[in-house]
Amino acid sequence: MIHLEHASRWYGQVIGVNDVTCHLSSGITALLGPNGAGKSTLLKLITGQLRPTTGSVLVFGEKPFAKARVLRRIGYCPEVESSYDDLTGRQFVTMLAAMAGLAGRLLRKQVEEAIGRVGMAPNADRKIGGYSMGMRQRIKLAQALVHEPELLILDEPLSGLDPLGRREVTQLLVDLARAGRGIVVSSHILHEVEQLTHTILLMHRNRLLAQGDIRQIRALIDAHPHRIAIATRQARALAKELLDLPYVLSVRLDSTDEASLEVETRSPEQFYAQFPDVVCTHGFVIDGFDSPDNNLEAVFGYLVDG
Amino acid sequence: MTMGDLYLFGKALRDLVQARKLVPVIGLVLLPLAVALIWRSLVPVGKFVPTQVYDQLARSLVFGFLLVLLACVFGTSVVSQEMEQQTIVYLLTRPMPRWRILLSKFVAALLATALAAGLASLLLALGTQGLHHWGQLPLTRDLLFLALGSLAYGGLFLLLGTVLQRPLLFGLLYVFGIESWLPNLPGSFKMLSLMAYLWVLAPHGRATAPTPANPFLVTAALTPALAWRVVVGVIVISVAGALIAFSTREYVPRQDA
Repeated sequence: MIHLEHASRWYGQVIGVNDVTCHLSSGITALLGPNGAGKSTLLKLITGQLRPTTGSVLVFGEKPFAKARVLRRIGYCPEVESSYDDLTGRQFVTMLAAMAGLAGRLLRKQVEEAIGRVGMAPNADRKIGGYSMGMRQRIKLAQALVHEPELLILDEPLSGLDPLGRREVTQLLVDLARAGRGIVVSSHILHEVEQLTHTILLMHRNRLLAQGDIRQIRALIDAHPHRIAIATRQARALAKELLDLPYVLSVRLDSTDEASLEVETRSPEQFYAQFPDVVCTHGFVIDGFDSPDNNLEAVFGYLVDG
Repeated sequence: MTMGDLYLFGKALRDLVQARKLVPVIGLVLLPLAVALIWRSLVPVGKFVPTQVYDQLARSLVFGFLLVLLACVFGTSVVSQEMEQQTIVYLLTRPMPRWRILLSKFVAALLATALAAGLASLLLALGTQGLHHWGQLPLTRDLLFLALGSLAYGGLFLLLGTVLQRPLLFGLLYVFGIESWLPNLPGSFKMLSLMAYLWVLAPHGRATAPTPANPFLVTAALTPALAWRVVVGVIVISVAGALIAFSTREYVPRQDA
């Protein structure tokens, strides 16, 4: 769906995106990075608001800048909070649906569907100026969905939503992805997108730092051992057995909590494969098992700081 | 014309008549009427010649000031308002050709300018002639040329709005810095002003023809034929230029860039 080849974008003397090459297909891809990393610029290049200064950006095989044929297949939810405050949510979605070429009964039907999908039906006839942040976010999402695009580009779609709203929108996006849509979601809050996808694009200082499956990326970071926290009342005995494994670098016992230990390994896949055998052979009782490194926050920290 | 065009047109028209803008516009529309009424109250009965007062105020206030100012405010806001509100991102990411987005919004601005200027002209007629003898005034011609003027100035300011970051500022500089005094200059300088050509097409009183006493008012070069060519040329070039600029330039709200 999306192909970027050495795409760079400058704003005068300031660089927005620096030499980004990536290919995105269907499913959900999370575009991650701190504020100012270049995520929004990248999304503007994909949605044809900006042209790359150098390199190329192709969406559905075409340059997207101001191209109606490409934009018909894209739904974009911008980060901006501003909207047409004097319009009701329904008027807003209807106007943008009409601009997408919908008319008549189909227009009304799809507007109702989009508003319903984001849970805004009860508030659709209120003016946007009186909406909360969460409602604005939902109605922005509705306008992106209304013409049923194949590709959704969502810039920080979960910001401003309450926990329930986040869960609903997350579920909606997962459902859309399952239905075959391509979705690119940008966020600077890593745990938000963990619920959505394992496929990430990680941006830092306007460059693409990493791309791919979060677990594969994590596995590639050899310089940083993978930590695994285990809760068991037989912590010392388990520690002894684990230290015999060749790919376990260290085992740390918590001095304040005798019932937990932390393992460091350079080969988490092998560890996860063999750990059940160790446990079963010696009859250990495991109360808890978690990897603090198996999340985006940790990967992001390693890549950026490491 | 599609539903998208109609919705955009309706939204643009709504934006133009919102309360924040409507009050000063109403003030401007009422200005010629107010001046006419004051004039009438100050001049002794019998010395007030309605057709002369109408001509003078139509030329200087309606054409020379109100039309240009309204076209400037409405024309430059077509793009700049969307930029300021950061809502332009919604428009430019819809699958609608950019030239049609701009044209739909421009037609609304054009309509608002022509209606406001036309209304001012009608109120001026009312203030000078009362309810009778409107046939003595060139009202129909003025309304037509106010519409033409709206198109010409509207196109010019639309172009400014598509290529400049602060179009209203530059537009006002043009209105008060060029159009307010250039058409009254002697010699050929006035040929740089669009208003001079509109005055030739819709002449009011003293400016209709050069007189031995004041040969500079209208130069021989400023003929109706030339005026038509210039006004139509300005319309075509500025509107086409604006449509091309809007279709090819990047518009990213400032805070967002």
